[in-house]
Amino acid sequence: MKVVAVVSAKGGVGKTTLTANLATALQHQGAPTVLVVDLDPQNALGLHFGADPGALAGVSRASLSGDSWGSVCQQSPSGVHVLPYGVVNEADRMAFERHLEANPDWLALQLQGLDLPPDALVFIDTPPGPSAYMQQALTAAQVVVVVNLPDAASYAALALMQRLVHTYCTPRPDFAGTLHVLNQADGARQLSKDITRVMQDSLGDRLIGVIHEDQAVREALAYDQSVLEYDTHGQAADDLRKCAQVLAQRLGLPLAGAAR
Amino acid sequence: MSVDQRPKADEVADADSHSPQAHWRTVVHAITGWAIWQHPTARVVAVVFSALLMGLVISVPLDLQGQILFSLGSFAAALLLSKTPGRLSTLAMIVLSISASSRYIYWRFTDTIGFTHWMDAAFGYGLVLAELYAFAVLLIGYFQTAWPLQRRPVPMPADVSTWPSVDVFIPSYNEPLEVVRQTVFSAMSLDWPQDRLHVYVLDDGRRTEFREFCEELGVGYLIRDNNHHAKAGNINAALKVTHSDYIAIFDCDHIPTRSFLQVCMGWFFKDTNLVMLQTPHVFFSPDPFERNLDTFHRMPNEGELFYGIVQDGNDLWNASFFCGSCAIIRRKELLEVGGIAVETVTEDAHTALKLSRLGYNTAYLEVPQAAGLATESLSGHVGQRIRWARGMAQIARTDNPLFGKGLHFGQRLCYLNAMLHFFYGLPRLVFLTAPLAYLFFGAHVFQASALMITAYALPHLAHASVTNSRIQGRFRHSFWNEVYESVLAWYIMRPVLVAAINPKLGKFNVTAKGGVIEKAYFDWTIARPYVVLLLINLVGMAVGVWKLFSSAGDETTTLVINMVWTVYNIILLGASVAVASETRQIRGTPRVAASLPAVIRFENGRTLVCKTEDFSQHGLGLAVPPDVDIPMGSRLAVSLFRSDEEGVFPAIVTFSGKGRLGVKFDNLSLHQQAELASLTFARADAWIATWGTGQRDKPLRSLKSVIVIGLRGMGQLTATAFKSLKPLKSR
Repeated sequence: MKVVAVVSAKGGVGKTTLTANLATALQHQGAPTVLVVDLDPQNALGLHFGADPGALAGVSRASLSGDSWGSVCQQSPSGVHVLPYGVVNEADRMAFERHLEANPDWLALQLQGLDLPPDALVFIDTPPGPSAYMQQALTAAQVVVVVNLPDAASYAALALMQRLVHTYCTPRPDFAGTLHVLNQADGARQLSKDITRVMQDSLGDRLIGVIHEDQAVREALAYDQSVLEYDTHGQAADDLRKCAQVLAQRLGLPLAGAAR
Repeated sequence: MSVDQRPKADEVADADSHSPQAHWRTVVHAITGWAIWQHPTARVVAVVFSALLMGLVISVPLDLQGQILFSLGSFAAALLLSKTPGRLSTLAMIVLSISASSRYIYWRFTDTIGFTHWMDAAFGYGLVLAELYAFAVLLIGYFQTAWPLQRRPVPMPADVSTWPSVDVFIPSYNEPLEVVRQTVFSAMSLDWPQDRLHVYVLDDGRRTEFREFCEELGVGYLIRDNNHHAKAGNINAALKVTHSDYIAIFDCDHIPTRSFLQVCMGWFFKDTNLVMLQTPHVFFSPDPFERNLDTFHRMPNEGELFYGIVQDGNDLWNASFFCGSCAIIRRKELLEVGGIAVETVTEDAHTALKLSRLGYNTAYLEVPQAAGLATESLSGHVGQRIRWARGMAQIARTDNPLFGKGLHFGQRLCYLNAMLHFFYGLPRLVFLTAPLAYLFFGAHVFQASALMITAYALPHLAHASVTNSRIQGRFRHSFWNEVYESVLAWYIMRPVLVAAINPKLGKFNVTAKGGVIEKAYFDWTIARPYVVLLLINLVGMAVGVWKLFSSAGDETTTLVINMVWTVYNIILLGASVAVASETRQIRGTPRVAASLPAVIRFENGRTLVCKTEDFSQHGLGLAVPPDVDIPMGSRLAVSLFRSDEEGVFPAIVTFSGKGRLGVKFDNLSLHQQAELASLTFARADAWIATWGTGQRDKPLRSLKSVIVIGLRGMGQLTATAFKSLKPLKSR
């Protein structure tokens, strides 16, 4: 089992969309078992997999009530296993978060308890910035994927992410490293190009993908599809497929089928 | 990278270590590895013994049967050798070819010129002289191309602060700005320390638009108050006001790749006596031969032999010469010889000759690092070859490489062949008309029986053909040389002879480039000499047929041989006529076929990943999924990439259908045009893929292609003649 935490220092970088699409792309490309876990109280990840927006079940409720994760797990049409955050009231949310703070290994233990096969891949989606959720994700992860935008704020926040990774991941022997994805790049804007260049230079091969700004990404969500299916010839879909391939290669993950 | 010139047998030997080819190679390596060859006495003995043997092979007289047996054995050995790997086999084939040809020439002089009639003597000696010329060029050609050096690029020193300063000169006279732009953009994007790279446009046309263009881009703009000595004078004037250590020269339509300087400059660090390095001239548009015969990228063109083999062969002898563009010269030594030579119209070769005479090294690096426009029309192409031919004849007269100080034997021979080559005009015309002397006048140009002639001449021709096919296979297909020569022979004959008599006569002509041939037409003016020759040969053929059935008698064999020769000449002339049939050229700016990743971004924010099919400075051809419907006239942005760099260019759809999309760029800023150039024309690998990678020569297949084109030419001529007769009839 490989656990990938998808994180960012600031919000609105398209983390959830990226998590959903990378998971779908890898499933398409023949990854044996792909599981996504939503640790973001926004509970948005499920939408990307066609979940009912009104559904209440999720890891938050299940954990509070002591139910097994298996009971809330759904499977998307493309075959990705999805664990939504679920809908909880404010008191329950705070109770859940207190529980997480008290048990830093909670997520890692939960995942181990699932008894997933060794070639399974688990993505953890997290809310932006430092939080109990991000701490859980970082503690459980073998690989951290930091999502950045090609703007100055993202560049400035690189150091913060670095510190968090140092605190929760680096001392662990099973931690394999931090990777970066640059999202919503736009070749027509000079600032975007310049920051892309700076990040390419400073991150080197830790930058595993540049996903271009593409209207199809927004439209796909509205049409209840992954962008890979909605606009298969589009640039974002192409970038995502390439990024997924690089990620699989870095994780040493065998891909059974050819890319779709 | 440069092309591996090894024959096919080497690839077989590499692939399978148990193949007979691999076995042969092991044996050859063992024999050449014998310690005895290191001994000077053994070497001398071997050379003397071989020379005596060669003399015997050349001169021993044989009767018909003996000669046939001997030739068959020798030719069988050559065919066998051609299937074996290694340069030693090539050298052995050359030796066989030289012995067959020398034997023929020896026999020719000793046995066939006892002329008794004045007419026989006149035609006969003419033919002998033409053959002697061809023999000399064959021998020196072998010397020149037997062992191409195949130099590889030398990496630059890691410490960038040691890299020298470079002035890039782009001389122009009357070429449109349109053509020059790309070259300037690419020169600006050369990968080199910016503080040591200075680009200058040398405008002999003194045009305002050029000045403004250069000022806007911030590149140097140099003019002078006269046009003395054309391009050479232009460069020399620029030398006076610039200061960098090295000069890189590009004709204004030769677009360098961004890697040009880094690929080429390393050799100047490795060899401090090196003062000039030349790279190949590659063309991304078809030349008139390629366009009119439809052989672009399918058949090596006229120039490829020179840049593929000849210059590389010259390089072994330290005799590669400057070709006017796509080259680097060191300033100090260039000034030492007085700048670019102005005495002749091939100032480039002459400058290199002067540098060689002072003992400096020159080099040729067979890596295409620039590409340009080929001459548009046949008349332009002919004009350019006339200039080269005249210039080389001028050098031969005024600064003959055989004489004078400073050259070693190899250099003298290589330069001699470069000049001698252009004297082919008259001999070629002699070959094209020689059999007519017999058919029309009954002149016996050979004082020998027809069978003896065949038994001696055929091995001479066949050996030369298979040997050259092995040496040149990637860069010149068999029999095509004859087509190229036949087209140009008439035109270069006169200027060469005039220049040889008085080198001062003649005028420099600039080749026009970047034009459009709006309508297909037949260039009667330029075709006139071959049409006339073709008609004469056809009449000769008719006479031959008539004689065959009426009065041949005991001369049937002679008659048939002359008729076969005439048929061959008719095919060559037919092919020459086909070249003059100018095909319509649709685009003003040529498109370069290339499959590059691209992304289209539509106005609604949607995108499409696709590949280019071709590019030009004004637009792109794109391959898109067939089910995608993109209306004509839509506006979009196209992204092109170079590793992790992206350029975005606004464009308008001008063609759309069936998986293809044509777009025209829309109002690119100068900055965007420069960026476009760096992502298309200036890509480091832009021209390497098509260099020397075409089909290898197979002599018989090649003969067939020449025959087909010869027939097509005669068909076109007949059709054109009928068409031009029609209006007369209806009058």
